[in-house]
Amino acid sequence: MDPSLLQDFLTESSELIEQLDTDLVKLEAADSAEQAQELCNGCFRALHTIKGAASFLGLTAVTTFSHAAEDALNRLRKGEISVTEEVMDALLQSADVVKAMIEQLGAGETAEDGPQALIDTLHALAEGTGDTPPTADAPKESDAAQADSQDESAQTPGDDKPGVPLELGPQKLDLLEFMVTDLLDASKLVADAIEGLSNDATLEESAQQLSEVCDEMEKTAEFFELDDLTSLVKLLNATAPKIPSASHEAIEEIAIRLKAANHLIDLQARALSDLRALSWPLETFRQRLMQLAEDGSIDPQVKGKHGGDVQKLLALDGVEEAQEQPGSPAPVDSEPDSSLPPDVVGKVGGQDEPASVPPPAGQEEAGTKDAEKTEEKSSGDKPAAKQATKTVVEQTIRVEVSRLESLLNLVGQLVLNKNRVLALTRNIKSLTIPPEVAEDFTGAAGDLDHLMSELQVSVMRTRMQPLAKLFDRYPRVIRDMARMTDKKINLEIVGKDTEVDKTVLEQLADPLVHILRNSSDHGVEPPQERKEAGKPEVGTIRLEAEHQGSHVRVAITDDGHGLDRQVLGQKAIEKDLTTPEKLEQMPDEDVFAFIFAAGFSTAKQVSDLSGRGVGMDVVRTNINKLNGTINITSKKGKGTTIEILIPLTVAIMPAMVVGVGSHPYSIPLQCIVEIVRPEPDEIKSVSGHPVMQLRDSVLPLVDMRQRLGEQPVEDGGKFAVVVAIGGQRVGLCVDKLIGQQEIVIKPLDDTYTQGGPFSGATIQEDGEVCLILDIVQLIRNSSTKTSGRDTKAAA
Amino acid sequence: MATQSSSPAQSTEDINTAISQASADGELLQLVSFEVGDEEFAVPILSVQEINRMMQITPVPQSPPFVEGVINLRGKIIPVIDLRKRFGMSELENSDDVRIIVVEVANRVLGFTVDRVNEVLRINSSIVEPPPSMVCGLDTDYVQGVGKLEDRLLILLHLEKLFTADEMAEMEQTSKAA
Repeated sequence: MDPSLLQDFLTESSELIEQLDTDLVKLEAADSAEQAQELCNGCFRALHTIKGAASFLGLTAVTTFSHAAEDALNRLRKGEISVTEEVMDALLQSADVVKAMIEQLGAGETAEDGPQALIDTLHALAEGTGDTPPTADAPKESDAAQADSQDESAQTPGDDKPGVPLELGPQKLDLLEFMVTDLLDASKLVADAIEGLSNDATLEESAQQLSEVCDEMEKTAEFFELDDLTSLVKLLNATAPKIPSASHEAIEEIAIRLKAANHLIDLQARALSDLRALSWPLETFRQRLMQLAEDGSIDPQVKGKHGGDVQKLLALDGVEEAQEQPGSPAPVDSEPDSSLPPDVVGKVGGQDEPASVPPPAGQEEAGTKDAEKTEEKSSGDKPAAKQATKTVVEQTIRVEVSRLESLLNLVGQLVLNKNRVLALTRNIKSLTIPPEVAEDFTGAAGDLDHLMSELQVSVMRTRMQPLAKLFDRYPRVIRDMARMTDKKINLEIVGKDTEVDKTVLEQLADPLVHILRNSSDHGVEPPQERKEAGKPEVGTIRLEAEHQGSHVRVAITDDGHGLDRQVLGQKAIEKDLTTPEKLEQMPDEDVFAFIFAAGFSTAKQVSDLSGRGVGMDVVRTNINKLNGTINITSKKGKGTTIEILIPLTVAIMPAMVVGVGSHPYSIPLQCIVEIVRPEPDEIKSVSGHPVMQLRDSVLPLVDMRQRLGEQPVEDGGKFAVVVAIGGQRVGLCVDKLIGQQEIVIKPLDDTYTQGGPFSGATIQEDGEVCLILDIVQLIRNSSTKTSGRDTKAAA
Repeated sequence: MATQSSSPAQSTEDINTAISQASADGELLQLVSFEVGDEEFAVPILSVQEINRMMQITPVPQSPPFVEGVINLRGKIIPVIDLRKRFGMSELENSDDVRIIVVEVANRVLGFTVDRVNEVLRINSSIVEPPPSMVCGLDTDYVQGVGKLEDRLLILLHLEKLFTADEMAEMEQTSKAA
């Protein structure tokens, strides 16, 4: 198998699966039948596409399983089974299974067959007797509306189109365009296969391919319930396996007839998109082709007379072009979809109004907005909208991330080079060159500067992705959580179009899941409890995102019972994180921040979902990695808000460059609270560790010279840069302050250089490397060293 | 390879010509040779990405002692190892000829400093002998073999072993010392 084909399949399928997952969750919550129908069709399309591609690539496990799921979904689509939690569980699980299969394939393994139990469930769903839909009335109304509109739209194109109007049920109508595309694609493949027949070398392969495509096409053809179309495809399918054994001469005759048949299929497909059904007198054509395929003989009267022309051949075989026979009767079977209830069929049959006439009385009675909307959609808007999406798709291309990264890297280098050029222009004035030349030079350098910053912004933007990529997964998370904990939770998502750097997006994924799980497991109360507290039974978790300057703010708010300062404080003392005396003076925020400590959990029991006290630690670590901050506000009984503020991009950030010994180091500006200049006598020592009195609190100090292995000097460490992370503060004593800069962050990920307290490195204007201090590590180390002292100092 | 060795234009060095004519059956090795201390070493040319003059090296505190620091290699930050320190030799006084050889080892790009880069040469693998149990008092793990040239010995380094295998041990020692 072509690996690039497989890769394409994997990429496309993973996207489709995500879409499927999202749509399924939406489907469960859909509040109008029309919306549900649309989502259902979307899901069906996604699964069908995956199945089709998988069978093309010969991935049997995926094909079989998605086929089972598709069957079940098909019943749902037709309204023969209703949307219940059990059905949705099965479908969602199926999505997971397909996803797992795709992941397996991606890892270079063979996909395992889907779990039999689930397949059985799906089969049961697909074949079950089907319960009556609970919303039986609603779909019928909209069915009627759709049928009406379909009827109208079928009439509107005018009578100059060939064939007779085709009537399809609303469900099928919705998928019409999709199926027609399928048919046209298949027809193209058939044409290719026929071409291959003329060459001995590819003969067998092409014949094989032909019958494979025909198998697929047969299913599509059945969808339309058109006799002629189905029999044409069957004819092709029956001929295909006999071709390799036929004589050269016969193959030529067969090929031209196959071409003709394919031509008819193509015509039919095009007519179908206008909702017209074509039909032809096919008997002679069929007989001659079968005869050819059987023994290679052909009526000498027609042999070779077509001269290779498809039209002539069709005329010879008595199949005339459909255009010349506009009035030919439609086969009986192309009549209304049998899945429609009889009364609706009757209605449709009885209506004959042109499109401009307002909706019939029956529908006005129904009078629902939904019905009207449906009508608009199915008659006009939809094809247009679909076309629009097609164009959009063509306007994007897939690019490997590594290419974007190398582009970004190059731009970073260019920026540094530009800085050097700018530095040179500043010096040029001192040289003895004509002032005009110097001016030109300065001008050119100025333009370069301007263009570079634009280029930098453009390149950065290529890495930006909407948060929707993450947010769209969460409804499923919340749904599962709610199901498992027997709670009712509604997830509101605001601002999912907010764009952030790809790295930020990836790093945010885990923390957000943890926070959401926490909110739904610990935050939102069970329905009963909520009722008693006078709140609505359904809890709400709100996930919002917005840009704030060069940062993005993500907030998760729940309306649960909030954090309990008392309980948290008690636990913190138990865990030896603080002392009762200190706790008393602590602001609420600092007490709440204890939930981020590793191993900290107030959950009385550990569940599958949360309670081990690991999650929030992950949250803090990841957010810190992104140089972000977290803030918790909570009101007992009212709910909790967790607010995350992260820089838009991780590649560039503002930093303070300081000097320790002879080397510069960068400190992320984000972490710096203030910079003070302690007098030598202000620095005291507690159990051998330096501290200073900063206003009314004691600030632990870190001698950076000592920490970074520089020789101690008499007048070193003049400045104390006060940095803070999650309420913990520490003063870093440095020799000098160099200034504030926007720095480009480079990884420092070699095993040789990982040991020190550095989170990365950056390159300065002069090309020299400057290390970025890892504040989290510095604070953590200093606090473990001084935690014993804290207790003593307090006592 | 065989065709290359038969073409006289390819081998400018007398030794190389002699070797390639002497035995055409053995595999031909293309090496970069350099000096560290009193020894001459060589690494396969394909593992060498580039050779740079000495540039500004930024020390990284708390890294192993033989790590001299990091350099900016056109926007990429890579560690630089001091081979003298790695081999436990004393520091070099005159450093005009010092070069940084940038290599790719096990998907890592790193540089190491050498006293002087000599030449690119071809030798036949048949004149390379497995390392004796002790070579010049060095731990022989990272010595792939010793090439006997007419007038001198060439120590072929196994870069992967030099920079990865016993690195863990080195790291441990460092952390114990610290």
